[in-house]
Amino acid sequence: MSNRSGVVKAIIAKDFRLFTRDRFFLWVSIVGLVFYVALFWLLPDTVDETLKIGVTGFGSEANLGEISESDQGLELVPYEDEDALRAAVEEGDEVIVGLALPTDISDAVITVYIGSGVPESVSGAVEGIATELAYAAAGVPSPVSGTTGSEVIVLGEDRAGNQVSLQDSFKPLLAFFVLMIESMALATLVAAEVQAKTVKAISVTPATISDFLTAKTVFGTLLAFSQAVILMIAIRSLGAGPVILLTAVLLGSVLVTGFGLLAGSIGKDYVGVIFWSMAFLIPMMIPALAFLFPGSTAGWVQAMPSYGLARVMVDVSNYGAGWAEVAPYLGLLALWTLASLFAGWRVLDRKVQTL
Amino acid sequence: MTHSIEATNLEFSYGDHKAVDGVSLQVEPGEILGFLGPNGAGKSTTIKILTGQLRPDSGEITILGMDMASDREEIQARMGVCFEEKNHYTNMSARENLAFFGRLFDIEDLDIDGLLETVDLTDRADDRVSEYSKGMRQRLLMARAISNRPDVLFLDEPTDGLDPVSAQAVRRVIEREAARGAAVLLTTHDMMEADQLSDRVSFINEGHVLVNDTPENLKLAHGKRNVKVRTRDGGGVTEKVIPLDEAGAGEQLRDLLTDDLMTIHTEEATLEDIFIQMAGRGLE
Repeated sequence: MSNRSGVVKAIIAKDFRLFTRDRFFLWVSIVGLVFYVALFWLLPDTVDETLKIGVTGFGSEANLGEISESDQGLELVPYEDEDALRAAVEEGDEVIVGLALPTDISDAVITVYIGSGVPESVSGAVEGIATELAYAAAGVPSPVSGTTGSEVIVLGEDRAGNQVSLQDSFKPLLAFFVLMIESMALATLVAAEVQAKTVKAISVTPATISDFLTAKTVFGTLLAFSQAVILMIAIRSLGAGPVILLTAVLLGSVLVTGFGLLAGSIGKDYVGVIFWSMAFLIPMMIPALAFLFPGSTAGWVQAMPSYGLARVMVDVSNYGAGWAEVAPYLGLLALWTLASLFAGWRVLDRKVQTL
Repeated sequence: MTHSIEATNLEFSYGDHKAVDGVSLQVEPGEILGFLGPNGAGKSTTIKILTGQLRPDSGEITILGMDMASDREEIQARMGVCFEEKNHYTNMSARENLAFFGRLFDIEDLDIDGLLETVDLTDRADDRVSEYSKGMRQRLLMARAISNRPDVLFLDEPTDGLDPVSAQAVRRVIEREAARGAAVLLTTHDMMEADQLSDRVSFINEGHVLVNDTPENLKLAHGKRNVKVRTRDGGGVTEKVIPLDEAGAGEQLRDLLTDDLMTIHTEEATLEDIFIQMAGRGLE
């Protein structure tokens, strides 16, 4: 007899009113959004794949330029003398490694200067490069010719020449930050409803518990989704595959809403709600963090509920992946979303029954 | 005649503990039934069952001629509930709280000002409930309970902890609702209040209904028909109890009506006395 959608709308409108009156979460939502956008635009948006090596002691700069152009990804920066080179490497702004070559390559030692923060793998490579450069500068052919041949096998997806800037790598993490904050806001609203037993007052009206749960789910999803979309527009992340990205973010919003319902039901007070929200949500940041670093993600990371969301965002916004490529990850995300929502509904429903 | 509230052989257990054990009751339109019992007797569980918050393990509930098991939403649309806890949205005003519940009841022209006037909250209508006193919150609870002009009203300790003025205001609303024709089921610890407001009372203890009758009948059945007379006696005071059912009681009373008479009191049993007689324990 009652108007179900009218009841759900009334609860959503009431929740929105209460959300706007919670100064803490309103402030955190607005300031957080501004902060994340500012952080994004402050991050480097290009990838410098060139290794700069300081050199001194060559016979002429013309030789130097020739060598530098012939080696892709290598830039040689000349210095007047060894002292200037050493100072530059120590400072580490322009170059982090340097080679001091004698004028006569055949009878002297090449000194390699390595900055203190340079990894061992890079320093080893630079020593090899030093030898090659010495042969080239002296006009002596290398004992190993290019005709021997070599085969390069990339394990995993070959991203060579298609590296992602730090700015782009941060996109999933920033989106997840927004979803997490709004999930906590929902959890707080749910906990307040349970603690004050206002849900009991609702349950003796024509509104049903299902109406209540539906309203909370819709409100939590709208809250998280709208803010995530604002963020994505602000960081120009919807350019490639916007429909796929919006689908993923919508599923992600429902996913964190499920966790928000769980945390709101379990937490006995404000501190408890924050604790449980963190307990559920911080581990889910791991996939987004994993994409900040190169290399394949571990199997257990791929099994996490939020992996699908992070993976779809990375693949679509950074590599232009289409529906076919991301379908398995969207499917995985959808399954986790259903599971979290089911758990959230079930626990909150039981909590309401015991009031 | 259809009872407004009719419960038959309700049973409910929390695990191994049987909280409600064969409770039956009826409330007629315009009648106030006082539902009395100590803490843990099963009052709140019975109210939860009658208001549709809990499903009974067995038994039947008919409210306004409808079956709670199948017509819960229709029943709840015509029902008002005043909870023991002041469960308001404290970050919203009284007006906003009432408007919200009005929307849940799908009432388009809810007279919020009229409701607030009824419970004397007009001046604070737009203040947030977090700024209200306990009494004001309780009065707002009453306003919410009657906002849909309910045909049945469940009131759980509606005057508990209130100052006398607020308590009196709440009692007036209860009487007005009953006069309008609503069936009222009232739980209270205040025996004076139960006596004053209830047309009938039901005593419940350990999940069982012990008795269900009018306060007057209970007092007649269980009270003592005695008169206690105090008279001056020289420099002291003499107290005499005269059983009215004894032969010669009238003559004894007449003999005492002299200038030395100080006070005469009937020794009528209170509802609490009767409850203790029947249950072997007090109401607290």
